[in-house]
Amino acid sequence: MTIPEPLPPEHSRHALAAAVLAVAEFQLARLRSPLRLLMAALGVVFPAAVMLAVRWASSAIGTGRGEDLDAGREITVALGMDRAMATTLLYALIPEAVCMLGLLVTMCPAVADELERGTWIHVAVRPSGRMALLLGTYVAAVFWTCCVGILAAILAVFVAGVADPLPLIGVLSGLVILSALGRAALFALPAVILPKRALVASVAVALIVEYMAGFIPAVINQATVSLRLRSLLVAWMGWRYKVPADMRMLVDPQPAWLQVTAVLALAAVLLAAATAILEYRQFPPSEEI
Amino acid sequence: MLTLTHATKLYGSVIGVNDVTVDIGEGAYGLLGPNGAGKTTLLGLITGQLRPTMGQVRVFGDRPFANPDVLRRIGFCPAADLTERRVTPREWVRYLVRLSGFRSADAADLADVALEHVGLADSLDRPLGTLSKGMRQRTKLAGAMAHDPDLLVLDEPFDGLDPVARHDLVGLVRHWSAAPAAVRDKPRTLLVASHLLHEVETLDAGLAVILGGRLVASGTAAEIRALVDTMPAEVRVRCDAPRRLAAAVCDSSGTESVRFEGADVVVMATREPQRLAERISLAAVAERLSIHELTAADRSLEGIFGRLVRLHRGVAS
Repeated sequence: MTIPEPLPPEHSRHALAAAVLAVAEFQLARLRSPLRLLMAALGVVFPAAVMLAVRWASSAIGTGRGEDLDAGREITVALGMDRAMATTLLYALIPEAVCMLGLLVTMCPAVADELERGTWIHVAVRPSGRMALLLGTYVAAVFWTCCVGILAAILAVFVAGVADPLPLIGVLSGLVILSALGRAALFALPAVILPKRALVASVAVALIVEYMAGFIPAVINQATVSLRLRSLLVAWMGWRYKVPADMRMLVDPQPAWLQVTAVLALAAVLLAAATAILEYRQFPPSEEI
Repeated sequence: MLTLTHATKLYGSVIGVNDVTVDIGEGAYGLLGPNGAGKTTLLGLITGQLRPTMGQVRVFGDRPFANPDVLRRIGFCPAADLTERRVTPREWVRYLVRLSGFRSADAADLADVALEHVGLADSLDRPLGTLSKGMRQRTKLAGAMAHDPDLLVLDEPFDGLDPVARHDLVGLVRHWSAAPAAVRDKPRTLLVASHLLHEVETLDAGLAVILGGRLVASGTAAEIRALVDTMPAEVRVRCDAPRRLAAAVCDSSGTESVRFEGADVVVMATREPQRLAERISLAAVAERLSIHELTAADRSLEGIFGRLVRLHRGVAS
């Protein structure tokens, strides 16, 4: 057999893209294990279960008996809270909680998993293997999390019984995609800097960067995904002028396209930094130390 | 093809590889050393996983670390077993070939050919978890060879294999390194790190012995034997009166050192083991000694390796 030539160096971008695709496919195949599928199913069902529980509780309060849920009634009535409150709850559950948890499981172990399985060494000796590993895992993590998040949004919105659900599903889906893109890149840094403590480090990053710095009304929160997502939620739901005055400092008044650009730019910078770090990281053979 | 110049790798204060200078051309080479000697670190430097702390590593004239142009010409089969239990050999090798920059369709063809070449044509789609260690080892080898590298580096490829699997693997590797010019116009280099010396010896490879991160000997098996011949050989005797035996033979047999192990063993070092053996038999008769066991110096490569190790540690004189 004649040995086909690899893509020549002048096509190195294509070769990298092919390698990234190979890693993404491989990681997605790994994610299709029974345990991971079960976790994904839980991620899909969890927000819907919470919405159902809230409806049930509200119905009980409303009727005094806790019975006869009326699936056709608008959540505004059933929950005893307005549509904005239901949307806020869905936002907290899906683009925040479900996406965050999904990415902790899929993106954080990007390098640690390879080291633990002994496959890092196979990847590190391939041309562009390190970069392909990180970017491919990123693609797989984003895809997987988006699938889980969007399915969770569809199910939860219908279970919540919100009137005119499609626009809300659209908003939540957009936020899920941006949350996955931005936070997967954010978690890529601890994954390459502290691979063996990536999960702990990522939780710390999530808490400190996203949920502490993200709520500080100063320059520091401009570099967080949570600010952009909140601002997009406000913009896409048309709440700009409905937000209470004392809450306005928690969102950015810039237009939506700028928020989307900011998330994408942040993701690109974080990924570039993580890739550069991984490219020059060395993992010594532990049995020889 | 492969040049290390005073290459040193430190992990903090721990020395992985210590001032190694070696030049390797085409052909087959064995890197020998006990566990922890620095073999894997040396291979890590050569295959671009590690950067030297001091000195230089050049593969095909260029540094291998983070250098795709060099890495695409290297095939590496690491020592660790494959733990991807659900993946099939076909999927695994295709994955690795795609990482080497091949298109998906080409990768599929190359993977199938490589797996067929290593004798796994009947097990292409079985999960790795259901395969024997030998078959997983072949899968790793196929992954390292499939993209037709110019330099193939194997780390402990025979570890944990049964004799038949070892024999088969040796045959495969020999076949790869001896590919005729008609099949391939570019030269090939094979580098095998192992502590199973007889398998490396059967590869007809040039040898380098590494210990404590240092290259302590290099050359052909014969050259290393000649080097070792300049060192005293040890003769170990278990008898009922080792001190009387030592007193009887030491004055006239060219014995250079004597040590006692327990109450019934004497170990004597000499450059003339034949003469010492004769003297021992004469002394046994004259002194009426019961010789229970006499072990001559091991002339195999294993024995030579052991002596080099002892010499390096300062045990042998």
